[in-house]
Amino acid sequence: MFAKLKKKIAEETAVTQRPGGATRIPRSVSKESVASMGADSGDDFASDGSSSREDLSSQLLRRNEQIRKLEARLSDYAEQVRNLQKIKEKLEIALEKHQDSSMRKFQEQNETFQANRAKMAEGLALALARKDQEWSEKMDQLEKEKRFLTAQLQEVKNQSLNLFQKRDEMDELEGFQQQELSKVKHMLLKKEESLGKMEQELEARTRELSQTQEELMTSNQMSSDLRQKLKELQRCYSALEEQRDHVTASNAGAENKITALEQKEQDLQAFIQQLSIDLQKVTAETQEKEKLITHLQEKVASLEKRLEQNLSGEEHVQELLREKIVAEQNLEDTRQQLLAARSSQAKAIDVLETRVKELEQSLQASEERLRQSRDVVAAQDAQIQELAAANRDSSLAQQQALTLEQQCRERTHVLEAQMAALAQAQAADQTAAECRMRELEQENAALKESRNEFEHSLQHHQFELKKLKEEWSQREIVSVAMAQALEEVRKQREELQQQATELTASIDKKNQSLQEKAEELLQKEQEILQLEKGHASAMLQMHQLQSELEALRSQRAEEVLVTTVQEELPRLQGQEPHVTSEAMQDPMCQLPAADGTPNGEVGAMDLGRLQKEKQDLEQQLTEKNKTIKQMQQRMLELKKTLQKELKIRPDSELFEVREKPGPEMPNMAPSVTNNADLTDAREINFEYLKHVVLKFMSCRESEAFHLIKAVSVLLNFSQEEENMLKETLEYKMSWFGSKPAPKGSIRPSISNPRIPWS
Amino acid sequence: MGGFFSSIFSSLFGTREMRILILGLDGAGKTTILYRLQVGEVVTTIPTIGFNVETVTYKNLKFQVWDLGGQTSIRPYWRCYYSNTDAVIYVVDSCDRDRIGISKSELVAMLEEEELRKAILVVFANKQDMEQAMTPSEMANSLGLPALKDRKWQIFKTSATKGTGLDEAMEWLVETLKSRQ
Repeated sequence: MFAKLKKKIAEETAVTQRPGGATRIPRSVSKESVASMGADSGDDFASDGSSSREDLSSQLLRRNEQIRKLEARLSDYAEQVRNLQKIKEKLEIALEKHQDSSMRKFQEQNETFQANRAKMAEGLALALARKDQEWSEKMDQLEKEKRFLTAQLQEVKNQSLNLFQKRDEMDELEGFQQQELSKVKHMLLKKEESLGKMEQELEARTRELSQTQEELMTSNQMSSDLRQKLKELQRCYSALEEQRDHVTASNAGAENKITALEQKEQDLQAFIQQLSIDLQKVTAETQEKEKLITHLQEKVASLEKRLEQNLSGEEHVQELLREKIVAEQNLEDTRQQLLAARSSQAKAIDVLETRVKELEQSLQASEERLRQSRDVVAAQDAQIQELAAANRDSSLAQQQALTLEQQCRERTHVLEAQMAALAQAQAADQTAAECRMRELEQENAALKESRNEFEHSLQHHQFELKKLKEEWSQREIVSVAMAQALEEVRKQREELQQQATELTASIDKKNQSLQEKAEELLQKEQEILQLEKGHASAMLQMHQLQSELEALRSQRAEEVLVTTVQEELPRLQGQEPHVTSEAMQDPMCQLPAADGTPNGEVGAMDLGRLQKEKQDLEQQLTEKNKTIKQMQQRMLELKKTLQKELKIRPDSELFEVREKPGPEMPNMAPSVTNNADLTDAREINFEYLKHVVLKFMSCRESEAFHLIKAVSVLLNFSQEEENMLKETLEYKMSWFGSKPAPKGSIRPSISNPRIPWS
Repeated sequence: MGGFFSSIFSSLFGTREMRILILGLDGAGKTTILYRLQVGEVVTTIPTIGFNVETVTYKNLKFQVWDLGGQTSIRPYWRCYYSNTDAVIYVVDSCDRDRIGISKSELVAMLEEEELRKAILVVFANKQDMEQAMTPSEMANSLGLPALKDRKWQIFKTSATKGTGLDEAMEWLVETLKSRQ
């Protein structure tokens, strides 16, 4: 309570203390302070409120003290406020002054500014006006342009929209077209299938039709046959009918005849009866006439008696006589007539009786004929019935044929109608398909055009793509080439390494072979030395022989001079060929021969022999000389080749096999024709054999044919084997002919064993 | 039958292959001459151990030319190739005066063969490009060619490496073969 009161008071004081338009600061300060105080007091009060009332007095006291303190503080604050007001007033005054000065300055500046601004404004306005005009013009232009552009934009937008729409439509159309195309294709395929089916059906139908036509033809033929039969039958029938009619007519005629005959018979019988009646009548008449006659005769007699009695009446009597004569005459006439009649009657009766007999005979004959004819009729009736049955059958067959024909016709009609319908349907389908095709083609053309346009762009892109790809491929190629080159380099390196190893190996081998060759060379040189020695010895032998020959000559000269010793000659003869033969090998053999020439007698014949022998010996000598010369030549050759080889060998050892001068060499050249020498040279010429066989196997057949001999010589074939080889090659070369049977030995190595050559 | 047809075909397809042997001592230049004739080039050769056979066409005439190795050891085998030979080209090294005798004996031995009785002989005095070469007449005399009877022969100076004289020789050979037919 008190707190509130105090608050109010403080506020009122504050309000009263505050001058008009005073600052808010002190008020707010006071408010806060009061509020804080009030709050404190409130708290205290609230806390105290619950306490007992006995404390209230003390509390009141405390409050009073607080209030006093607060009042003191308030007075302090009031004083401060007053000071502050004073300061404020001073400050306000200063402010006013300052405000005045600043206002003045401001006004001046404002004026200058106004003036400047007016000037500026005028200039600017002018410039602005110009600019404005320009800008307006530009604006107009721009606006025009803008309008134009907007219009264009809109157009373009429209166009683009249209384009998009069109594109969409195109896409849709393309889709539809493709769909339609596929549909049409599908339909076309279906149609084609159906067409095929239809065609198949058609074919089947045509086949059926042909079959039916064939059937029809056959049936027609049958029907025609049947018709012909029928006609024939009808003809037969008509003929038979005619016959029947004829027969019936004859029958009727016969019956008529019979009836007529019977009538005649009856007539005749009646006639006969009449005649008999007449006869009876005539007899009766004759009896009557005879009675009459008798009567008349009586009369006549009476009359005559009367006449005789009556002479008076003579005339009358005469007349009566006359009458009587006439009556007698009449009577006689009648009698004659009667007789005639009787005879005629008898004749007639006879005739009639004969006729009756004849008629009866004829009747019997006719009855027989009738019977026959009846039989015939019955047979004919039977025939007729049969014919009728046949006729019925034929008619049935005709009917069947007709029905068949009708059926066939109907079927053909139906088939034709079907065919026509099918053809129409096909045509319609074709036309429809063609129309569709045309439409589709048109659409397709349109699409193709559009597609071409698209394709152009696509091609452009593809071209770019290709360029890129080409670049890429080039790079790839380059890389591949690089890789290949790398690989090649690697391979080359490996190869080189291999070659190096091989070369080192070959070098080793070559070194070895070189050593061997050097050894061989040494051997050969030794051989040559030996040969030379042999040559020298041969020369020596030659010299010896020559000397011996001279000795022999001298001996012979002596012998010639002596011309003695005959018993020694045989020995000489025996010895000298021996000497000539042995002179080559052993010159010592000559000596005993020389020694063995004793001083015997020699005849002229012996001298001749000796001379011959001498000539022979001289020939032998010349031959030997020749051979020696050849030997010398060969020696020279050999030396040359050896020297060549010696020269060549350090360079290349490939020619090591070239020539092997050995002890057999001298035998080679002079006797080329000698085959035995070839066998010796085999070992040397293995290389040659190898080459020839290789060529023989690899070369053409015409060339191989020429090689047969070489091969067979080298391999020592027999004649049979060579011939077999020739035949097989000929067979291979020729286009015809049969394969020759393997003749001779198939396995020459077994059947004909030869010396194997190493 | 086959022979008949083959004869027909050979007559139909014209020229039979002429069979020519090139013989001579080793190192005379036979292989060089063969390949000079065939490909017209000088090839590097090694001594022929065996033989070379090539088909050479010259003036529409086909030759099956056999170059047989001339080394001493394989000379005996020449005679295996003599049958059905139309011509022999005997090559002699014009500078090898030492071995001309051997060459002659080989030539004489060859010409004595019955199978070569009808063969034409052409001697090539080869290596004429060398300085000390023998003249063809000298060569002919040393080979004993003038003594030959019943034999068509001719000597030509040739150089296989230079290619001189080969054309003339082949010309003569072709003409002779044609005239002989």
